[in-house]
Amino acid sequence: MAKNEDPFFARSAKALQNNAEQAGPAAGASYTLIGAIMLLGAIGYGIDRWRGTSPWFLLGGLLLGIVVGMYELARTVWKR
Amino acid sequence: MKTMFVQEAIRHGAAAAERQPGKFDPGETIIHHVANSPASDPLIHLPTIAGIDFSVTKHVLMLWVVAAIVFIVVSWTVRRYLKQERLVPKGFMNALEFVVEFVRDEITEPNVGRKWVNTWTPLILTFFIFILVANGIGLIPIFDLIGLTDYYVLRTGEHSFLKQVLHGGTTATANFNVTAALATITFGAIIVAGSMAHGFVKHWKNMVPHGLNPFIYVILIPIEILGMFVRPFALTMRLAANMTGGHIAILAILSFVFLFAEMFGRATAGIGVGLVVSVPLAVLISMLEILVVLIQAYVFTLLTAVFIGMAIHVHH
Repeated sequence: MAKNEDPFFARSAKALQNNAEQAGPAAGASYTLIGAIMLLGAIGYGIDRWRGTSPWFLLGGLLLGIVVGMYELARTVWKR
Repeated sequence: MKTMFVQEAIRHGAAAAERQPGKFDPGETIIHHVANSPASDPLIHLPTIAGIDFSVTKHVLMLWVVAAIVFIVVSWTVRRYLKQERLVPKGFMNALEFVVEFVRDEITEPNVGRKWVNTWTPLILTFFIFILVANGIGLIPIFDLIGLTDYYVLRTGEHSFLKQVLHGGTTATANFNVTAALATITFGAIIVAGSMAHGFVKHWKNMVPHGLNPFIYVILIPIEILGMFVRPFALTMRLAANMTGGHIAILAILSFVFLFAEMFGRATAGIGVGLVVSVPLAVLISMLEILVVLIQAYVFTLLTAVFIGMAIHVHH
């Protein structure tokens, strides 16, 4: 594929590919961090709406989201 | 995407020329072009079985279209390739082979490992091609062209099938239900991958580190269970939000034309703003969208591969 391409272009494409590969787990962790906060925050908000206990479950959900997200992040970071 | 606004503009311009303009509501127009068609008024009525309404809305129709396109194009290409005397890929087969090799060698193998690469490449490849085609079709203004043809040439009735098809967005992956279904498959695949590699019971044991203070497990196990659900949720939100967000950005910028035309009460103001600001910006964002379409398909498959790999290679 990269035979008749400019070696500079081929090299930079390769470097980009390597970066993307190494960034994979990190991207997973970052999305999980945000996803956890959003999901658990939304669940907390839903419980608040349902039971009328605003804002305690929302706050609890957000905090739990941060804990879960940070745990996933820590697992990814300290694994290797 | 632009054609439907041309259509809006014509309708709107005609209204503005006659009387005082009916207020242009950008929010409603944007939602109309992004959201699914209403479930209360589906395209094809199907019976409700076991409490699930099987009626077909716009996004379901688009799912079918995408599935049909992928199935027909890929199987036709591969069959034609296999009929050749010398198995040298050319034309579209070349591109297809490049995609397959890319997914196998660059996405699946580094994460899943050599032993399992042939088990998981088919799933991940299917994800990649399906999401790529579904995202890509959202960028092609098929239904806007149909609408334009209908408006000028066919002039079908108010409740014709053609008119109904025009409601709603074209990108199936911009619907959270679609991406949630895809992420559910990932969720199942993670469990299956762990079970295949380590056995069913060992997979669940692997989720927490071994040999810690029992008290820590009380905190750790709930966190792990939540984390198990959070990962597919993150996949769901990211894909759908990215696809919806790009379309909304383009539509919002293009709606400047009508807002300015309304504000100054003449069409020239709108056309001027359109030529100077809206169209160049929309073209730029459309280019960005093409990139986003590729990147989101790539990221979804990459993260699926990473999560499956995490279940197979447990480091603690």
